[in-house]
Amino acid sequence: MAWGSNSRSSSRSSFRNSPFSDFGSYMVEKNRKLQNQFDAGASSSSHSALSSGKPIFHGVSVFVDGFTIPSSQELRGYMMRHGGHFENYFSRHRVTHIICSNLPDSKIKNLRSFSGGLPVVKPTWVLDSVAANKLLSWIPYQLDQLANETRNQPKLSAFFALKSIPVFEDAVTHTTYPLVPETEDSVFKGGTSKDAVSSEGGQYLEYTRQSSGEIDDHQCENTNETIIEKPFSNDEKSSEIKMEEQSFSNQEEECSIKNELQSSPHRPSASVSSYYLDNARKESSSTTVVGCSNKGHSTLEDPNFVENYFKYSRLHFIGTWRNRYQKRFPRLSNEFKHTSSDLNASGVSQKNVIIHMDMDCFFVSVVIRNNPELQDKPVAVCHSNNPKGTAEISSANYPARDYGVKAGIFVRDAKALCPHLVIFPYNFEAYEEVADQFYNILHKHCNKVQAVSCDEAFLEVMDSKEGDPELLASIIRKEIFETTGCTASAGIAGNLLMARLATRSAKPNGQCYIPVDKVDDYLHQLPIKALPGIGHVLEEKLRRRKVHTCGQLRMISKESLQRDFGTKTGDMLWNYCRGVDNRVVGVIQESKSIGAEVNWGVRFNDLKDSRHFLVNLCKEVTLRLKGCGVQGRTFTLKMKKRRKDAGEPAKYMGCGDCENLSHSMTVPLATDDVDVIQRIATQLFGFFHIDVKDIRGIGLQVSRLENADTAKQGHQRISIRSWLTSAPATNEELCKTSCLVRKERAVADGEKQSTDISLGQLSNDSKRPSLQMSPSSSNNEAPLNQVSELPALCDLDMGVLESLPPELLSEINDMYAGKLSDFIRKRKGKNENVSGTMCTTSYEIYEGAINNGKQLHCSIVPIRKTPVENKVEKTLDREIATENSLLQSSEVEKVKQYKIDEIQEVSVSGAVSLNVVDPASALEKSDLMPSSLSQVDISVLQQLPKEMWVDILEQLPVHRKPEHSSSAALDPLIANAQESLCFKHTENNSKSVDSVLGNNLWIGNPPQWVDKFKVSNCLLLNILAEMYYRSGSTGCLSSILQCTLSKFLLPLDASSDGWDETISSLCDLLKQYIKIKIESDIEEIYVCFRLLKRFTMKSKLFLEAYNVVFPYLQASAGENYGGSLQLSHAKE
Amino acid sequence: MNAVVQRARHPQLRDYIHSAVSGLLPFIQKGLVERVAVIFFNVDNIPIERFIFKLAVNQSYDSKVEEAALEFSLRSFLIKLPVSETLTKALPRDCRWEITAYFHSLPDASRSKDAEVWIPTDTKQWQTPPVISPIKSMTTEPLCLQLYLEHPSSSEPNS
Repeated sequence: MAWGSNSRSSSRSSFRNSPFSDFGSYMVEKNRKLQNQFDAGASSSSHSALSSGKPIFHGVSVFVDGFTIPSSQELRGYMMRHGGHFENYFSRHRVTHIICSNLPDSKIKNLRSFSGGLPVVKPTWVLDSVAANKLLSWIPYQLDQLANETRNQPKLSAFFALKSIPVFEDAVTHTTYPLVPETEDSVFKGGTSKDAVSSEGGQYLEYTRQSSGEIDDHQCENTNETIIEKPFSNDEKSSEIKMEEQSFSNQEEECSIKNELQSSPHRPSASVSSYYLDNARKESSSTTVVGCSNKGHSTLEDPNFVENYFKYSRLHFIGTWRNRYQKRFPRLSNEFKHTSSDLNASGVSQKNVIIHMDMDCFFVSVVIRNNPELQDKPVAVCHSNNPKGTAEISSANYPARDYGVKAGIFVRDAKALCPHLVIFPYNFEAYEEVADQFYNILHKHCNKVQAVSCDEAFLEVMDSKEGDPELLASIIRKEIFETTGCTASAGIAGNLLMARLATRSAKPNGQCYIPVDKVDDYLHQLPIKALPGIGHVLEEKLRRRKVHTCGQLRMISKESLQRDFGTKTGDMLWNYCRGVDNRVVGVIQESKSIGAEVNWGVRFNDLKDSRHFLVNLCKEVTLRLKGCGVQGRTFTLKMKKRRKDAGEPAKYMGCGDCENLSHSMTVPLATDDVDVIQRIATQLFGFFHIDVKDIRGIGLQVSRLENADTAKQGHQRISIRSWLTSAPATNEELCKTSCLVRKERAVADGEKQSTDISLGQLSNDSKRPSLQMSPSSSNNEAPLNQVSELPALCDLDMGVLESLPPELLSEINDMYAGKLSDFIRKRKGKNENVSGTMCTTSYEIYEGAINNGKQLHCSIVPIRKTPVENKVEKTLDREIATENSLLQSSEVEKVKQYKIDEIQEVSVSGAVSLNVVDPASALEKSDLMPSSLSQVDISVLQQLPKEMWVDILEQLPVHRKPEHSSSAALDPLIANAQESLCFKHTENNSKSVDSVLGNNLWIGNPPQWVDKFKVSNCLLLNILAEMYYRSGSTGCLSSILQCTLSKFLLPLDASSDGWDETISSLCDLLKQYIKIKIESDIEEIYVCFRLLKRFTMKSKLFLEAYNVVFPYLQASAGENYGGSLQLSHAKE
Repeated sequence: MNAVVQRARHPQLRDYIHSAVSGLLPFIQKGLVERVAVIFFNVDNIPIERFIFKLAVNQSYDSKVEEAALEFSLRSFLIKLPVSETLTKALPRDCRWEITAYFHSLPDASRSKDAEVWIPTDTKQWQTPPVISPIKSMTTEPLCLQLYLEHPSSSEPNS
C-alpha cells in the first residue's frame, strides 16, 4: 500500500494499449472503481450484519500507510462495517485520518508534506472506537513518534514571547473564553469532517492539557490561526488569503496585478502644456521608427533597467510608500500599538466604530488637482500616451469610468472607448505630498490610524466620546478636500470589513454608515466578489456551487466551507459573509517578505545579460531590505518562462503566457549583504535549467525576515567582512578573483549544478579548518560563515577537497580557472606552518612535563593527509619527496635531536603525523621525536609504488627501537613488503588456518569467544567483545559487526599489537561461525561478509582476516549450495 | 498474513502456480523435498536465473507450532522478496520459466497418486558452479527456509 508507486511502474507498460490518456486519468478511474467496490461491499455488509451497529465512522475516511496490526484489509473491513471510508491511495481531499504504526524518519521530519496536516493515528484508534461503539477522539492515539515530537517544542512559545508582546497579549484575551470550547467541540463532536482544523486545533489542545503553563502561548497561536491572521502566524497559507489586503507588501501586489509599466523615457512634468508638447514631439518622432523610440525599454538595451524600472513603477511607489510612512509616523504608530492592545485587553472593542477613509481615484485626482477645468473630463493616468500603445491604464477618474475606461486596460482600448480621454503620466512627488497631507489630517483627528496604503486608512473612534462618527468623517473629508484639493470617501461601520464595504457604496466623494443592525440586509444581496479576500479563483469555485451573493454563502455550513476551501479560507468565508471581522485596527502587519520582481521588458540574449540583470535585482532587493531595516533568511527566485507555444505577447514587451517557476534556499543566518544575496541568487538561478531567451520575468523575494538591529546585536556584524580582511591579503585577492570566476561559471553551466552544490558544501564545510588557521577570529563567526561567503579558495576545506574523487577535483579546478591546484599547493605550505607551531607547542608542553617530572599527556593531533591527495597531485616528485622526508625523519631519529624545522619538513610532506604519543614510554625516552614509524600514516604508504615502500620499510626497521610497541602496526606492512604481494597471507597466518577448528567458540551464552576476546590484549578484539553486549547479545555476528561499524570510525588496527594472534583468533571466530550458520542461514553469513568487506577498506587487519577466511567461506558455500557466494554485484 | 503480495492475473498461470505448490505440499510435509526452484530459461532452454527455496522441515517437531513466530518469519520473507529486484539482472526476451522441485529421493509413483502429476525435468544444467546471492533465510521450528538466487558464474561457457 505504498502511495501508488507500485502500480505506477507496473501499469506504465500497459499504457500504450489502454484507453487512458495518461496516468492521472487512469488513477481517477481506478479510484472510482475502488470506491464503487467499497460502497458495494459496505452496503452488503451493513445489510448482512446489522448487529454490528451504528455508523460510528461516518465521515471518517482513512488511509493506511505501511504495515499495521491489524492489517489494512481488516481495517478496511472495520471502516466498511461502521460507515467509514477507506482510501487505497492518499488524497489530501478525501482522506481525513492517516493510520500507521510507525513512520520512517524522513516522513516524521517532513510531516506536513507527508500528511497534509491530517491527523496521523495508530490503528488501535479504530479498534478501540469499534469496541466502544463510538468514535473516540484520535488525540490519545496519535502516533507516538509525533506526540513526542510535538511535546518538546518549546521554541515556539519562546519565539512568541520575544517577538511581539502587545499582539500576544490581546490575542490571549481573545482566546480565553470563546475559542477553547469551540475548537474543542469541533474536535470531539465530529472529529470527522474537519480535517485540518481539528488536527491543528487538536494538537494545540493537547499541549494545553499536557502543560497548563504553556496554555497562553498555544492559545495565542490558536487565535491567530483561526480568527485573524497575524503577521507571525506560522502557516504560510495565510499569506495567500491576505493577498488583497496586503497591499503593503509590494511583492505580492506586484505579482497579483499585472505589470502595467513601460518606463517612459520622459520625466513627468507638472505643467500640462509642456507635457503635451513633449508628448507631441515624441509622437511625431516615434511614428516613423517605433522600435527606435522604445530604446531602453527592455533589459537588452538599458544597462540600468532595473533601477529605472522601479523608478517609474507605481506599484513600487505604493510598496515603498509604507516605509516612508512608518518613518514619518514612527512614534505614532508605536504608541498606538500599545494603546490599542491595552484597549483591546479591556474588551471594549465592540463599542468602537471603524471609519475607512479612501481617497477617490487617488492617482488621477492628485495629478489634476490643480487643473479644475479637468475635473469633469475623463482623465486617466498612464505612463505612456501613445494612443496605439499597449500600456495599461493605472487609474481613471469617474467621468472616464463612465465610458468604460478602467484600470488595467490598454491605452489603445481606452482611447477607442473614449477618444477625448486625457492621459497623464505619474507624478510621484505630488503623490507623496498628498499622501503626507492625508495622513497628517487623519492623525490629527484620531490617534488610532491603520495605514493600508498611501491613499487608504482605517480609523478607530470611540462611539461615545468623539461624538457622532458620521460627523467626524465628514469633518475629516472636508479638511482633506480643502488641504489637498482631492476628495475622499468614508465608510463607517462596526468593523474593518464592513467599513471597507461601506466605502464601496459611499464612493465617489461620499460617506456611508452601516450600523450593526443593518449589516445583514446590506450583505444579503452583496455579490461575493465584493468581499475582500475573494478573487477570481475563489469566486469561480463558489460560482460552480451556485453561490453568487453573501446571502447564499451563508447557507453553507462552516464545516463544509472549511473542508472545501481549507481551514482558513473556509473560516474567512464563513465570517465575512456574516459581516464578522475580528481584526483589530492598528495592528501594523510586519511584512513577511520583501522582494522585487520584474515581469516587463525582460529579454535576455545571453547569460551575461541575465547575470547583469540578476546583480541589479539583488541590489534593488538589498536596498529594500535595508530600507525596512530587516534581514532575511529564505531567498526565493521566481522565474517567468515563456511557454513553448506562446508567441510574442500582445502587450508590448510584456511577459505573455508564462510558466511560473521558483526555487528557494534558506540560509542559517539572516542577511542583507548584497554580495551574499548575489551569490545566493546566482546559485538559485543555476537551479533553473532555462534558456535565458525564454525568461520573461524574474523576481527575488526574501522571507523569514528578522530585524536587522537584533540580528546585529547577535553577531555584531563582524562576520564576512572582517573575516575576509583577517585573511592574508594575497588570499583575499585570490578569493575575489575566484569568486568572480566561479560566479561566471555557475551561471554559464546550469547543468553543472551538481558540482555547484558540492562547491556549496565545500564552502560550508570549510569553516572548521580555516578557523583553526586563524584562531584569533572569534567563535561566533562560525555560524556566519556558514551563511555565506563564496566558496572562496581560501575557504575551501582541504580535507573535503582531498576526499573528492580526482575527476570532480579537476572539474572544480577548472571552475577556479586552474587556481585550485596552485592553491592546494600554497595551502600545504600553510599547513606546514600550522603543524610547525603545533609541534612547537607540544614540544614545550613536553619539556615542561619533563621538568616537572609529571606524567605527560600529550594530545595527539594527527596531521594526516589522505591518500586522495596523493592522487590529486599525482606527480612523482611528490612521492619522492615523501620518501625523502621519511628518510630524513629516520636520520633525525638516528641523531635523536630535536629540530623543529625538520619536523616541519616532515609534516609538510604529509605522510607523518608528528605529535606524540604514549606518555609513559615517551617519558622514559628523552626524545619526543617521531617516536617511530608507527606515526607514519600507513594509508599513505600504501599509495606509494610498491618498490618505494619496500625501500622505505627496509630502512625503517633498522632505526626502529624495539621498545616502541606501538609500531607493531607496521609489521604486516613489512611482511607484505617482503612478500610484495598484498593479498597473500603470510606464513604466520597460514599456520593459523590449520589450527583448531572446533566449534567451541560459539557455544554458550554469551558464546565463549566473548570472554576470550574480552581478556585479550588486543583492542580490536576487546571492542568486538564489547559490541556483543551492545548489540543486544543476540549472538548474531552481523549485528555485532554492524554495531562496530557504526561506532568505530577510527582505523581499528592502528594500535593493535600481537597482530598474528589477533588475526588467527578472528579467523577462528569467523570460520566457526560459518560452520554453524552456512547450512541454515546463508543470509546471515552473506550479510556478515558484506560488512567485513567494508571493514577491509579501513582496516588492514580485517583485510588479512577476510582474505584468510574467504576461501573457506566459498568452499563451504560450494559444499552446501553447489555454488560460490556472490559478495559484490555487477552493478556496484 | 498482513503482507502485500503480487499475484498472477492470468487464470491458467495462476492454476499452474497453485497446482504446483499444492502438489508439492504432501512431499514437503514428508520432508522429501530439498529445494524448490523457480528457473528462468532463455530461448535455448539454458537457465539464466534460478530462485531457490531451500527447505528443511523438522519431521520430529509435531507439538504446538508457534504461529506468531512462524508468521513473523514468513512475513519478513514475503517483504524481502519484492525488494530483491536489484539482485536480478534484466531478462532477455522470450524467456520461459518453470517450477522445479529437487527431491532427496524420488517418490514411488505407484505408491502415491500425488506423485503422478510430477514429471522429471530435462533442464540443462550449468557447467560450472553458480554464483549465489542470498535473499532471505528463516529458521523457525518446524520450518527452515532459505531463498537465494543463482546466476551462472562468469566462467560459464556462453552458448
